[in-house]
Amino acid sequence: MAFGFLMLASILRFMAKGWVYDMYIKPKLFFPYYGFEWVKPLGETGMYALFIALAVAALFIALGFLYRCSALLFFLGFTYVELIDKTNYLNHYYFISIASFLIIFLPANRYFSIDSLLNKKIAATYTPNYFILIIKFQVFIVYFFAGLAKINYDWLFNAQPLKMWLPAHSEMPLIGNLLSKEWIAYFFSWFGCVYDLLIPFFLFIPRFVKPAYFFVIVFHLATSLFFNIGMFPYIMICLTTIFFTENFHIKIIQSIKKIFKRSLNDNQITFLPKPSLLKPFIFIVTLHFVIQLILPFRYLMYPGNLYWTEQGYRFSWRVMLMEKAGTAFFYVHDRTSGGEIEVDNKKYLTYMQEKMMATQPDMMIDYAKFLKKEFIKQGLKDPIIRAQSYVTLNGSGSREFIDPQVDLSVQSNSFLKNKTWVKKY
Amino acid sequence: MKLKDNIFLISVIIATLFFIACDKKKIDKKDEEDTSFDKPAMLANYADNVIVPNFQSFKISIDSLVNSFNTFIQTKSVSDLTSLRQKYITATAKFQHISTFEFGPSESEIVRSNFNTYPTNTVTINSNITSGSYNLGTVSNLDAKGFPALDYLFFGKNETDASLIALFDTDTKAANRIAYATACLSEIQTKTNSILNNWNSTYKNTFTSSTGSQIGSSLGLLVNQLNFEVDLLKNAKVGIPLGKKSLGVTLPEKCEAFYANNISVKLAKECLLNIEDVYLGRTASGVNGKGLDDYLEHLKAMHGSETLNDAIKNQFAVAKAKLDLVAEPLSSSVNNATSIVDAAYIEMVKLLVLLKTDMPSALGIVITYQDGDGD
Repeated sequence: MAFGFLMLASILRFMAKGWVYDMYIKPKLFFPYYGFEWVKPLGETGMYALFIALAVAALFIALGFLYRCSALLFFLGFTYVELIDKTNYLNHYYFISIASFLIIFLPANRYFSIDSLLNKKIAATYTPNYFILIIKFQVFIVYFFAGLAKINYDWLFNAQPLKMWLPAHSEMPLIGNLLSKEWIAYFFSWFGCVYDLLIPFFLFIPRFVKPAYFFVIVFHLATSLFFNIGMFPYIMICLTTIFFTENFHIKIIQSIKKIFKRSLNDNQITFLPKPSLLKPFIFIVTLHFVIQLILPFRYLMYPGNLYWTEQGYRFSWRVMLMEKAGTAFFYVHDRTSGGEIEVDNKKYLTYMQEKMMATQPDMMIDYAKFLKKEFIKQGLKDPIIRAQSYVTLNGSGSREFIDPQVDLSVQSNSFLKNKTWVKKY
Repeated sequence: MKLKDNIFLISVIIATLFFIACDKKKIDKKDEEDTSFDKPAMLANYADNVIVPNFQSFKISIDSLVNSFNTFIQTKSVSDLTSLRQKYITATAKFQHISTFEFGPSESEIVRSNFNTYPTNTVTINSNITSGSYNLGTVSNLDAKGFPALDYLFFGKNETDASLIALFDTDTKAANRIAYATACLSEIQTKTNSILNNWNSTYKNTFTSSTGSQIGSSLGLLVNQLNFEVDLLKNAKVGIPLGKKSLGVTLPEKCEAFYANNISVKLAKECLLNIEDVYLGRTASGVNGKGLDDYLEHLKAMHGSETLNDAIKNQFAVAKAKLDLVAEPLSSSVNNATSIVDAAYIEMVKLLVLLKTDMPSALGIVITYQDGDGD
């Protein structure tokens, strides 16, 4: 229920900020994911209609009305939106996609919901533990992998990137001066790492749920104060309540009930899924978690520094780990005249797309292919598209990121193939 | 289980101790040296000693240009034409020292587009003069007004001094031409006055009190516009005439102040000087106050083995040295001394990378409105 309301708030916030236009209508080209190149945006009315549908679905999930339908719609709709352009990839959005996928299978409409009011037959008080466990395990994965990713030299021993991010807030009242001290960046780095690694364990131990939850609140409120990360802290704060005992949740539900002055018949029925559905259900969930456990490690299959090449970076719960910035100059080389055009990136890309593209090799390929088509339209014959890109990672100082002589338009984004033209870190 | 309990307890204790230590530090703060960078002082230096004085001196140059024009249309003498052209050159040079500050009052007046869209459209200018009816506020007239239009009107295309004066004197459309130049001048004058008043009355306070590094903060605006200016220097002032967007085919007619024809390099130098002034927090008279350089030093930002500040300062020096080698007029140099212009261009690209990539990253400036998760 809380998930539904938070998603409603997220969708509305997204629309209110005009991001639907900025991200899905204004751009002249989109950067689809590998394997999902067929995903295209819907056009202006289509995109707005979709976002409204998502808001309605989120509301229905919250109220427990047409629950499974709404959850499925929300999952498909939200994931579709995210697949349009990898510029906008955030771990938070990935998490929302996963969570909405998992809740499709949960009987979350059985107790306190409109569905159970309308159809008394499906009403139930008890849910088998394994349903709850699914969500718990997913939250566990998020924290634990985020923690594992923090065990790296720059994070722990250079306090990067926090050493660069925190002093930027030195004008904050009371704590401002503190933030520009070096030890505080180290403290935050180590604390964050230890927190991410341990918190999922403590949340599993009933005795420690309360103090652990206190840390959850402190940690996420602190991150929302210092960093520009939107709704994510609130989502995590609400979601981790699932680790509390049932009594806690029943109390909350009862207090809401009092407001509505209505009582539900607490018919003491335990919800049991149909045995015929159990097998596929177990299969899907197991498959899901196997993928979840393997995906973050795929970077091991690529050589080089993960943070530099970003091969295998996405979908791995690597959050707040690096300060990376770059500038890329693209050149269209005409084979006939030998002349060259320096591309005005602003003409084709939004600010955000240009920024992301400048540091991510797979997006450079997409952009180069787009430019090739564009300039062939303008009359060039089979031009070479090359780029000079300078990137700085965690304040190391900008340096050449890729081989400036390589024709990017003939490179491909194939899975697991190392991009040899990315320079070594 | 037992072990985990202990780890948890220990971590709670450590965390608590740290927080207590934090509190202690807060209380002791007055005794020890303040380690955070004085951003308000830096912003005040920019507003009081760099931005507002630059606008003031720009305003003086515009007033003087307008007076000079009024004298010229009275006397129509060669000496007053020469003086008018001198005033024009001074004003466009001063413009290079305010162009960067396109936020707040300048942003609402859209200064860069309104004052300096070039190459100018001589066809539109001539048809406006002929018809005598035009609205300089429309988008279609953006490239028919401002300094580039005045450049064309005051210097002319292949005109002798006498034939140019005749256009303002005996030509059938002389009155219309005078009215058109007056309209262009007064638009610049009005907008400049309004911007300066706005800075002095309210915006100075707005600017200096926004001390964050988030979107729309003064620091964010300044750094963004500084980068935009470097981009203009690199592309509009040098790159485009050099053929960087046209398969290497040079486009001399796209030089800034093409009709004056011997100040394009000078304007580029003024622009680069201003970019350096803004970076250093340096006044027009050369007093180096608190600026981005001090902030980077304070943060101990590095670029490889040297400090980022040193890297940037060196790059300014190199870029200036290379630009000094380019001879006026730029419109000839792009063809006769292509490699010399290209060398200057390459150094501007390097400067852009340092200012656009390394500096905002080191300062922790948020430039986008969207959420991030640390990339």
